[in-house]
Amino acid sequence: MGQLLSFLWLSLLSICVFSSSTSAADYHEQLNLRPLPQSALLASFNFRSNTSVSEFEKGNFRFFPRSLGQILQHAGTRELHLRFSLGRWDAESWGARPWDGAREGGTGVELWAWLEADTDKEADHKWLTLTNALSGLFCASLNFIDGTRTTRPVMSFQPEGDHSTTTNMHLLYGVLPHEVVCTENLTPFLKLLPCKGKAGIASLLDGHKLFDASWQSMAIDIRPICPLDGECVLQIEQTIDMVLDIDRSKRPRDNPIPRPPAGHDLPCDTSKPYHSHDTCFPADYTAHQDWSLTQIFGKTMKGTCPLADPAVPALCLQVPESRSVFVSEGVREKKNPDRVSRCFDIPPSTHLEMVLPTPDDSASISVTPEAPLLYAERSFTGHGQERGGVQTILRNPSPDTEVEFIYMESLPWFMRIYLHTMEARVAGQSHANKSLIQQVYYRPAVDRARGTQLEVRMRVPADSTVFLTYDFEKSILRYTEYPPDANRGFDVAAAVITILDPHQERQGSVSGRFAAYTLRTTSLLCSLPTPDFSMPYNVIIFTSTAIALAFGGIFNILVRRFVAADEGPEAGLAVVLGRLKGRLMGLVKGAVKR
Amino acid sequence: MDGAKVTPGRTAGLYAGAAVLRLAIFTLFPGIPDLLTGRVEISTPVTSFKRLQEGLFLYNHNVSPYDGGVYHQAPLFLPLFSLLPSSASLPIFTYLLYIAVDLLSASALWRIADSGESGSSALFTSPRREKRWSGFVIAALFLLNPFTVATCIGRSTSVFTTCAILHAVAKAVSGAPFGAMVALSFASYLSMYPLLLLPPLVLLCYDRQRSGRATKSMLQFAGTCTATVAGVLSVLFQLSYLLTGSWEFLPSTYGVQLTLSDLAPNVGLWWYFFIEMFDSFRSFFLAVFWLHLSSYVAGLTVRIRRQPLVVLTLLLGIFNIFKPYPSISDTSLFLALVPLYRHVFPLMRYTFVSAAVVLYASCLGPAFYYLWIYAGSGNANFFYAITLVWGLGLSLLVCDLMFAVLRDEWEVERPEMAGKEIRQI
Repeated sequence: MGQLLSFLWLSLLSICVFSSSTSAADYHEQLNLRPLPQSALLASFNFRSNTSVSEFEKGNFRFFPRSLGQILQHAGTRELHLRFSLGRWDAESWGARPWDGAREGGTGVELWAWLEADTDKEADHKWLTLTNALSGLFCASLNFIDGTRTTRPVMSFQPEGDHSTTTNMHLLYGVLPHEVVCTENLTPFLKLLPCKGKAGIASLLDGHKLFDASWQSMAIDIRPICPLDGECVLQIEQTIDMVLDIDRSKRPRDNPIPRPPAGHDLPCDTSKPYHSHDTCFPADYTAHQDWSLTQIFGKTMKGTCPLADPAVPALCLQVPESRSVFVSEGVREKKNPDRVSRCFDIPPSTHLEMVLPTPDDSASISVTPEAPLLYAERSFTGHGQERGGVQTILRNPSPDTEVEFIYMESLPWFMRIYLHTMEARVAGQSHANKSLIQQVYYRPAVDRARGTQLEVRMRVPADSTVFLTYDFEKSILRYTEYPPDANRGFDVAAAVITILDPHQERQGSVSGRFAAYTLRTTSLLCSLPTPDFSMPYNVIIFTSTAIALAFGGIFNILVRRFVAADEGPEAGLAVVLGRLKGRLMGLVKGAVKR
Repeated sequence: MDGAKVTPGRTAGLYAGAAVLRLAIFTLFPGIPDLLTGRVEISTPVTSFKRLQEGLFLYNHNVSPYDGGVYHQAPLFLPLFSLLPSSASLPIFTYLLYIAVDLLSASALWRIADSGESGSSALFTSPRREKRWSGFVIAALFLLNPFTVATCIGRSTSVFTTCAILHAVAKAVSGAPFGAMVALSFASYLSMYPLLLLPPLVLLCYDRQRSGRATKSMLQFAGTCTATVAGVLSVLFQLSYLLTGSWEFLPSTYGVQLTLSDLAPNVGLWWYFFIEMFDSFRSFFLAVFWLHLSSYVAGLTVRIRRQPLVVLTLLLGIFNIFKPYPSISDTSLFLALVPLYRHVFPLMRYTFVSAAVVLYASCLGPAFYYLWIYAGSGNANFFYAITLVWGLGLSLLVCDLMFAVLRDEWEVERPEMAGKEIRQI
């Protein structure tokens, strides 16, 4: 609960800062560090800049990146969300997701945007422009988001910004689960920042560390914000969340192979009855790891970005008040009133190093993460390459509140799902419970033209687990449609689960509510039956031979006359051989005579 | 058994026995229907019962089943199966429907057999026609054929096509051209390929007209028949349009058969060929394959003009090998008609070879499919090879039957050649 309070406090702080200065062009950045159980550390980088809509339309970009701004103008994009993600958020041990899941994507690349267009066709055209332009900007294969990977979600996504009219806005959603996010995506991401990653918190971002994380998500959100008084602004928010393994980060770079620690170095749980000098139960030493900024990020932080708003502290740390933290000279520590977080005022041009030694009293500062509203786990059932099933296990940990949410899948067309087999069942009951599924929006796949879109509004009763299952059939593709590594399988995009806020109603939206929490399942790997890629010629030849044999046989029987075996002109191998024999005999006889 | 008297008791016994056998499998082994429904040998994308269930589900929930890649069957199935109680909760009604369709097919087959058309048509009378099986035996062979039973248990919708085709032939041999054309229109509406049976069926109807109101002119008769088929088909299409509210069922049902967009494995020769086909030649070979399929109609109809029922049988045999989505249901239809030619069996030369090849393929096909899809110890070529063998075995049977029938015709001209060795020049 303390974590939540501190997060709320920080958010309140940032909201206060923003509401006072949203009208002008401004920029702010902040890094939040939060230790998680299992020796993990969550680092949340947040960069936010505003520009007024009128300046934007005139082409005056100040903190807003020009390259992105021009793409948005060209493609008529009103609101844009782009995600690059890698790894898995381990909700069982890490608890609730940062930003309530609103700033993360499924594995790979996810893009959704509201485009201004009069017709669906025009929206598709603008979408194509947008994906191709972003593909070039971010060095990602976004241009592969074609008709088969694009859906138009109906219930799952709501605009985050303030839009005067939503009548001609089209929401398009595309996902590339197979995309491997890497350094080439980080570089253009940093280029969009006013300080380009040369100073401030962005100077800590390094591809080696970022893509070595257990989980990371880079997000770009662009939305118009209209305060009640004052001019509308266009806001770009860039977020990077990463979960670093402290033990892994502390391995020396020149000797990165982990080796078992010596017996006397093992942290043991001394409370176990069998603990003795030669038995050791590994202690959950997660909370009291000692670490420093250099160990975690591989370098120190290069001052602050001079363009950033100095009122917002650049670095905040969520460790209890009792834990001592050593920082470089000149850096001032401010403890927040919630007693579990502190922020640092960093003078520009200071190289910040921060060291957290092992605390003396470990018991008082153990980390218990806040439980999320829902746990979700999705997997394939069945075996073989012909058909299978998808099973999603949804667990509501709350003892007294029911959770209502929208479950969205966008599946590739070659997974033919059978919607009539979809059912939701509460764990422990043998029969499907029809009341769990409240509403279904389904747009079936069309071969080679469109993927499946499935949105299910359902609920999970308090303190129970629900199994959502459906069957599908794997289709076999043309051999040119398989990727080079066909036997690896095809990635299936993460399911997006949007939990509806039971308290806030929203006008005009289909689901009628704000999203309270968003989570995504892991992506899946679906293996399809494969043909033999090495023998197209052989197959063409064999099949043609079989057809020719049948056709030839029938044709022969149809057109030739019947005669008795001893009638008609002679033919066949025997006749030819006989003639040959006669001729040979003649030759031999002639030779003998001579 | 030749010429044995068939009492009503035996008839009822056969039908009851067949029905009880199917019902017993349905009820005693509740896992078997779904298992067989999933088999690629029985359910093709255009006949699968599971896809029908999905189409029905979408139809009942006001989603167009044709706006998707799963349902490729005729629109009139939707209201028919909507009327039945859901097969998930009360499957017995679906079972009874399929059993009834099988029995109807058998009764049509019985009428065809009893008409004696296979032995003596209007233009030709076989010297061996006395040696034939009764309708009882032929219906029993159809009803107890494992392929027929498996198709029925697998609830493939091709049984409706089979029933319509057999009824078209039965109506034709009993001198009811209108009924025959209506039945053929239904078959064509359901599966499209039966439309190719129109020429021999028109000839059969023409030959078997009742003497009282016979039309003299062949052309006039053919025109009337074609117009009937066109009329009934347009009524069916119109009905489908009214049901689904758009014409998008046409590309989704017949277009899929024409372009083979769904490459699900089956016992035919098309699927693997078009998986491995180079993209630039795909349309060319699609055209070639369809042309090949339809080329037999004219040749056979002209060459075996005197026995239109033989043409129908042979064409069904050929379609069962070369159509885009064949299944063992088509084989069972062909094998149902073959016993009508009991009298020419002695003239067939490769009965043992073709029977052995077909049996070999039916045993190894499922095994090789398992090795490819589930065990992973074989690849697609295993199943492909067995479908090639299956196709070759059946085409040998078709060729052999054709040879026997033609030799039977020839021996009318040369009665002294019976039993002698002959050759073709």
